[in-house]
Amino acid sequence: MATRAPLIQRTAIPGLGLSAGITLFMLSLVVILPLGALLAKGASFGAANVWEVVNRPRVWAALWLSFRLSFLAAAFNLVFGVILAWVLVRYRFPGKRIIDAAVDLPFALPTAVAGIALTALYAPNGVLGSLTNQIGWQIAYTQWGIWMALVFVGLPFVTRTVQPVIEEIEAEIEEASATLGASRLHTMRHVILPMLMPAALTGFALALARAVGEYGSVIFIAGNIPLRTEIAPLLIVIQLEEYNYDAAAAIGIAMLVISFAMLLAINLIQIWSRRRIGHV
Amino acid sequence: MSDAALNLHRSAGRPARPFRRPTEEAAPARIVLIAVAVGGLMLLVGAPLVIVFVEALARGWAAAVASLQSRDAMAAIRLTLLITAIAVPMNAVFGIAAAWFITKFDFRGKAFLITLIDLPFSVSPVVAGLCIVLLFGANSAMGAWLVANGFPIVFAVPGIVLATVFVTFPFVARELIPVMIEQGRSEEEAALTLGASGWRVFLTVTLPNIRWALLYGTLLCTARAMGEFGAVAVVSGKIRGQTATMPITIEMFYNEYLSVAAFSMAALLTGFALFTLMLKTVLELRHADQLAATRRH
Amino acid sequence: MHIQIDEIAKEFGATTALHPVSLSIPSGALVALLGPSGSGKTTLLRLLGGLEFPSSGRVLFNGQDATGLTVQDRRAGFVFQSYALFRHMTVFENIAYGLRARPRATRPTKAEIERRVLKLLDLIQLPHIGARYPSQLSGGQRQRVALARALAIEPRMLLLDEPFGALDAKVRKELRQGLRDIHDETGLTTVFVTHDQDEAMELADLVVVMSMGRIEQIGKPADIRAKPATEFVRTFITA
Repeated sequence: MATRAPLIQRTAIPGLGLSAGITLFMLSLVVILPLGALLAKGASFGAANVWEVVNRPRVWAALWLSFRLSFLAAAFNLVFGVILAWVLVRYRFPGKRIIDAAVDLPFALPTAVAGIALTALYAPNGVLGSLTNQIGWQIAYTQWGIWMALVFVGLPFVTRTVQPVIEEIEAEIEEASATLGASRLHTMRHVILPMLMPAALTGFALALARAVGEYGSVIFIAGNIPLRTEIAPLLIVIQLEEYNYDAAAAIGIAMLVISFAMLLAINLIQIWSRRRIGHV
Repeated sequence: MSDAALNLHRSAGRPARPFRRPTEEAAPARIVLIAVAVGGLMLLVGAPLVIVFVEALARGWAAAVASLQSRDAMAAIRLTLLITAIAVPMNAVFGIAAAWFITKFDFRGKAFLITLIDLPFSVSPVVAGLCIVLLFGANSAMGAWLVANGFPIVFAVPGIVLATVFVTFPFVARELIPVMIEQGRSEEEAALTLGASGWRVFLTVTLPNIRWALLYGTLLCTARAMGEFGAVAVVSGKIRGQTATMPITIEMFYNEYLSVAAFSMAALLTGFALFTLMLKTVLELRHADQLAATRRH
Repeated sequence: MHIQIDEIAKEFGATTALHPVSLSIPSGALVALLGPSGSGKTTLLRLLGGLEFPSSGRVLFNGQDATGLTVQDRRAGFVFQSYALFRHMTVFENIAYGLRARPRATRPTKAEIERRVLKLLDLIQLPHIGARYPSQLSGGQRQRVALARALAIEPRMLLLDEPFGALDAKVRKELRQGLRDIHDETGLTTVFVTHDQDEAMELADLVVVMSMGRIEQIGKPADIRAKPATEFVRTFITA
């Protein structure tokens, strides 16, 4: 950093003022000002009061529930997503293209639709729920139901981040492992999985971040019993319905902090993996 | 060579099992993995998809169609189309401007700007709605002033549009930026040296190069815009016939035990989601070259 | 180890990569498979290593039929054109990989693995790079690490696919001598593929000239120079 670069380098291409203007105006109106309003509300409410709200048992329980089930759902998707990605890249079977397209359905399907569909399936009188209830396993209106909904919304992330990495593995790497005497299973565990890990963890973190904030697909199936099946975003909605803006803002800030921590984690994973593996 | 010698020659050294390439798994492992993947996806994604249509048609086709023609249902459909028609073009314009600004110019803080654009993906929709309520709600100074001057934002269409734009904010920009980085600036610079105006360069050089990526991003944006629930639930106030969008109306019907009505509207949105996926798959197959940059990411 | 190739042929679908070819490689020889791209030389090398299965014909190692032997059981030290080093492992871990992959019963102890890896690092004259990752090495260093990794499994033969192909001219000359030295020290039967006739002539005891999936001539470098068997060989070695 000998000489500081100018703020904006002049180029021959026109449209600087217009494109910068639209970008910054929209960014301010849609993202910066509203988020600023949340932080301002938190500031005027006071750190001690924010903490007092977050520290209530019901809020803690909701935050912990959201985070814990999101983690478990993302962990399931980590394993299942890697298998799915492997099968979609490496194997040929009838209907593969449809399966590949279906992976994106949770992205495309409105969350409320997913919510009522999952509830209809897993409710005690639903098609699958009546089966699981016979073995004493109730899914809808329990934490299992929340987990199921979070698995659904997070499903595409790991698969979509891992797929391109599998496509880029050179056959020679796997062949080298075989010529060195390694069984296929050994090659999978010690060569292929470590190569997929950085991308898979990125997908895991994305799925986790999405699940922590998820609302629409969860509230129908959750049962929403305080301290047991009540997720953090629902608490915000409840506070708002009672016009309790300060408490809503406090919980919102807590969720924002969790989101940013996860965003940071994603970036650290990427930096770490890039440094470790580099580009050969 | 006698037949016996030939047979001996053939059989010698042939493996008991068929040869397996060193880059492949054994057939049983392959079958198990395919079964897990396909079976898992059928259960997790296929089953919810099917149940939407099953429940919608539980009382027959006529009942489903009739439920969509009720006053509340029609109002919700109209409102969702209106919101989408406003929010998606806003995002497309923003996406193009942001991609142009970021890829055609060099400035400090570019990485930070990209992080800010991506930010809405990491914020819970409910928190997004909360932010808008806090900024423009009647309890804030700006909100009170806007309401007094007859332009309420929260519990009205502008708030729903803002919430929708927030949750779909990065879609178009994110598709365009990698493509435009890959294509560089030389074509635009060449057009400028030939005397073309700025708008002409954009319309005749840039736009044809990014049109499929733009369509792709707009498609994803539209699907998400029509289906947004959490953010809209917070800012809309859920006023029947006025601020209830299709997903909000699904919730209302569902809570009133109007199962056929709820699932019929859900089926309508599902149909649109399937159409989106189909279009997306076609785009990926036909125009992989132009979308490659984004898919690799 | 003596290698006998007996009427081996290979088809990929409708295209014939290798017409039936036969070749005898004496134990301890350093053999070059020389030919332009598409001549079938790499296919032949991969058949020897067990990476491909022949459409017909047999391979014999020391007189024993090895055609059905899996890659893992062949114990052929294989050096790939791209080196195929494992990016997420250090140089040490790369070289130790084959020993650690053995089933528990035949796996050397930790101390023994370390001793062997350090010895191999000495052999390739890069004693201090064990802790580095492949991305931190030069092209020539990577090639030597790939060679050490192949030698670690105590192979019965050494197979190299264009071992100098990705290197610049100066490094190439140095490493040629390095391969010769390692061959002489280990006494391993060594087969390498090249399209560079200088490389083949200078390095190999025996040169196999190939074209269009057939063997054109087998002989000592001097004999091939003096008496090219076909028009193809004449033009190819003078090119």
